[in-house]
Amino acid sequence: MSSKAPSANNLNQARQTVQQLRLEARIERIKISQASADIVKYCNQHQKSDPLIMGIPASENPFKEKKPCTVL
Amino acid sequence: VQVNPVKSQPTTSPLIPEMATQEVQLNETLAHLKTESETLKTKLEEERAKLHDVELHQVAEKVEALGQFVMKTRRTLKGHGNKVLCMDWCKDKRRIVSSSQDGKVIVWDAFTTNKEHAVTMPCTWVMACAYAPSGCAVACGGLDNKCSVYPLSLDKNENLAAKKKSVAMHTNYLSACSFTNSDMQILTSSGDGTCALWDVESGQLLQSFHGHAADVLCLDLAPSETGNTFVSGGCDKKANVWDMRSGQCIQSFETHESDINSVRYYPSGDAFASGSDDATCRLYDLRADREVAIYSKESIIFGVSSVDFSLSGRLLFGGYNDYTINVWDVLKGTRVSILFGHENRVSTLRVSPDGTAFCTGSWDHTLRIWA
Repeated sequence: MSSKAPSANNLNQARQTVQQLRLEARIERIKISQASADIVKYCNQHQKSDPLIMGIPASENPFKEKKPCTVL
Repeated sequence: VQVNPVKSQPTTSPLIPEMATQEVQLNETLAHLKTESETLKTKLEEERAKLHDVELHQVAEKVEALGQFVMKTRRTLKGHGNKVLCMDWCKDKRRIVSSSQDGKVIVWDAFTTNKEHAVTMPCTWVMACAYAPSGCAVACGGLDNKCSVYPLSLDKNENLAAKKKSVAMHTNYLSACSFTNSDMQILTSSGDGTCALWDVESGQLLQSFHGHAADVLCLDLAPSETGNTFVSGGCDKKANVWDMRSGQCIQSFETHESDINSVRYYPSGDAFASGSDDATCRLYDLRADREVAIYSKESIIFGVSSVDFSLSGRLLFGGYNDYTINVWDVLKGTRVSILFGHENRVSTLRVSPDGTAFCTGSWDHTLRIWA
C-alpha cells in the first residue's frame, strides 16, 4: 500500500469528528444579551450574602479571629 | 446544513487493480468527511456569531462598582517538604486536604493550622487530591496513574495507608479528581487524554469520556441543581462539557491559546471560567454556547494555574505562575485587586464552601488562607 493510503483509523476519527460537530451544531443557543443579563441578575441577587465582597466582622469570621494562646 | 451523501462508487475498468480502486474510494470518503468537518465548523461559528449582540461588560455597565478590598493572609500552613500541587476544602469549612511533590497528603485544621492526618504516597508528584462529601475520606493520585481513597480515622495513630483503596487506573498521570455528590463515585482526569467515572467500592469503571486530543489537566462538576454534567480542560486548548450518563461531549470551546490548567463552574451552573498558560482567564456561557468575557492585562504575562469564584460569582480569583493572585470583577472584566505573599508559583486555589475565605497552595511549599 502506498504511504498516502488513509488508514481505517483516520477514517474512523474523521467520522467521529463529523458526528460530534453535527451534534454541537444542533444545540439551541440564546443571545449573549440574555445570557449576560442572567449572569448579572444572579450576581445582584447573591452579592449581599457574599462574605468576601461584603466583608464580615472579625468576631464572626473564624479566620480573622486572633489565634487562641496556648499555655505550654 | 445539507449533508452531501458520499458519492456512489465509480464503475471500475477491469484494467485497474482492486487495491488502487479501494484506495481511491477511501480517499474520496476521507476528503468528503474533511470537507463536511470544515463546513460544520464554519456553520458553528456563524451560528454563535449571530447571537453575539453585546458584550457582558456592556450589560454590566449600570452595575455598581466594587469597593476597595482588603484581603490578607490569615493563616500559613507549613509542613510540606516540597511544592504544593493541589488542595481541597472539606464541607465543614475548616478542614483542608493538600498534596505535594514530596509524595505527602496532609489533612489540616485551617482554623488552628494543626495537621490532623498525613499519608505518604508511594509516588512523588501527587497532583490531585479531593475531600469526600462526608468528610470521612480523601482521594489522591498523580504519577502513579491511579486515584486512591483513604478513609480518615479518628485514631490519629492509625496507619492510614493500611486502609488505602485503589479506585481509578489510567495509563498516564492523574491530573485531577473529584467525588460526585456522594462518597460512592469519583470523577478523574488524566494525562492519557481521558476522563473517567468510577465506583469507589468496587473500583469499577462506570463511564469514560473521550474527546480531548491531549492531556486533560482539570475538571469541575456542575453544581448539583443543574444536573449531571462536568467540564474539563486540557493541553489541546479545549474546554469540553460532558454528559456524565452517556459519556457524550455536549459542548466544546476552543478560544484559549495554550493549555487550560483550571476550569470552574459559575455558581448558577450556566457558565464556567477557565485559566490558561496563555495568561488569561475566560468566561464561557453554556446557553449562549460561547466565550463571553476575557480577564487579561498586558502586564500579566505568566500562566494561570487555578481559578475559583466567590460565593455570588461576582469575583473570580486566579492563581498565577508569577506568584500572585489576581482578583477580577467578573461582570465588568476589570481587575479589582492583586495579592502578594507566596514566594513561588501559586499552583492551586479554592474558595471555602461558605465563601468566607479562600486557600492557595504554592511551589513555595506552603498553603495560605486569605480573607
